[in-house]
Amino acid sequence: MTTFEVFLKKDGRDEFRHVGALEAANDELALVSARECYVRRAEGDLLWVVRRDNILHPDRDFTAPNATKPHRHHSGEAVAARRKALRESTQTNG
Amino acid sequence: MDDFEAFLNQGGIVEPDDAMPDEYRIAVFRFIELHANSEQMGGLTERDWIPRTPGLRHKMAVIAKTQDEFGHAHLLYMVAADMAIKTRQEMIEDLYAGKSRFHNVFHYRAKTWGHQVAIAFLVDAAALASQQAVFKNCSYGPYRRILKRIIAEEGFHMRLGEDRMMRIAQGTRMQRDMFQQAIDDWWWPALQLFGPDSKPNDMLLRWHIKSERNEILRDRWVQKFVPMLQSYGFTIPDPGLRFDEDTDRWVAGPIDWEPLKKTFANVGPDSARRIGEASAHWEESAWVRHALETTELAKT
Repeated sequence: MTTFEVFLKKDGRDEFRHVGALEAANDELALVSARECYVRRAEGDLLWVVRRDNILHPDRDFTAPNATKPHRHHSGEAVAARRKALRESTQTNG
Repeated sequence: MDDFEAFLNQGGIVEPDDAMPDEYRIAVFRFIELHANSEQMGGLTERDWIPRTPGLRHKMAVIAKTQDEFGHAHLLYMVAADMAIKTRQEMIEDLYAGKSRFHNVFHYRAKTWGHQVAIAFLVDAAALASQQAVFKNCSYGPYRRILKRIIAEEGFHMRLGEDRMMRIAQGTRMQRDMFQQAIDDWWWPALQLFGPDSKPNDMLLRWHIKSERNEILRDRWVQKFVPMLQSYGFTIPDPGLRFDEDTDRWVAGPIDWEPLKKTFANVGPDSARRIGEASAHWEESAWVRHALETTELAKT
């Protein structure tokens, strides 16, 4: 038996979403099983069935460093403060 | 454990690859395995009734329900297997060897169509209420996600059950008598499905697997079904049942927990036949699994 992961897409606007896993003896049966387990009542119209072995899944430590990189964001607060300060100084001088 | 419990209390969700205390891993695994086994045994009960279900429309619905139940079992076995305690195959083999538990209601025989209707409405409602209470606040991510799908499908089964009940309740004298007998036979097993009152230190509550105490779920079920069945002219087989004017609630009589304990030990009224038949079917179909594993097909 091989373990597969199943992804479904509902309509044009949605992304593919992981819905669960299944075990099957081969690719053909994996597809049938995915349809009969996960798309029983038109829950989606596009299906990805992927062998679990083919998915790379690093642990949380691998993604963690990017949680603390404020320079990749910009809240706009500093710009707003500067905008306000400049406006006020222009009005005072004008 | 303290850090882990603090994480859970803040609404933390645990994923399969995350570190978790062994006690949590084992408790959650056992709970999901019990649920999976119950879906599997429930599917077998449902399948037995495909040839005997009256009318083509209902027969087709029963086929769909049978497929739904086996599907639920498969998905739950996958979630349980990812907890790295037993494989799916091992869980199925343990179930058919009589080494595992499954819900009490599948240790009784469904003898008449009336029984099937009572199971589809009263018992499924009890099972659905328990699942919804888990879904509400479940800390184990994969279980919570798969429950969403299972609950949606169980909702169809409930509606189908009510449809069947309304038909039998509006049927002939003989049909109504058959359904009254079914209520008499299934009322207590359905009530016992919720289990005895939750213990103060129930770990499944503490670790946010269950979100409600057994006695609360059980009481809610009583408040719903006593007035409903009575309004349709059926009686409840509980001599201790009374209506409390002060609280405006129905109070069930004392519950005998011995039958539940017997089903937990796999020595309920129909346990041996159910497990024996399931096990025989599993052995008879061994050649199919063998063929799938060994033929050219497996290499595609």
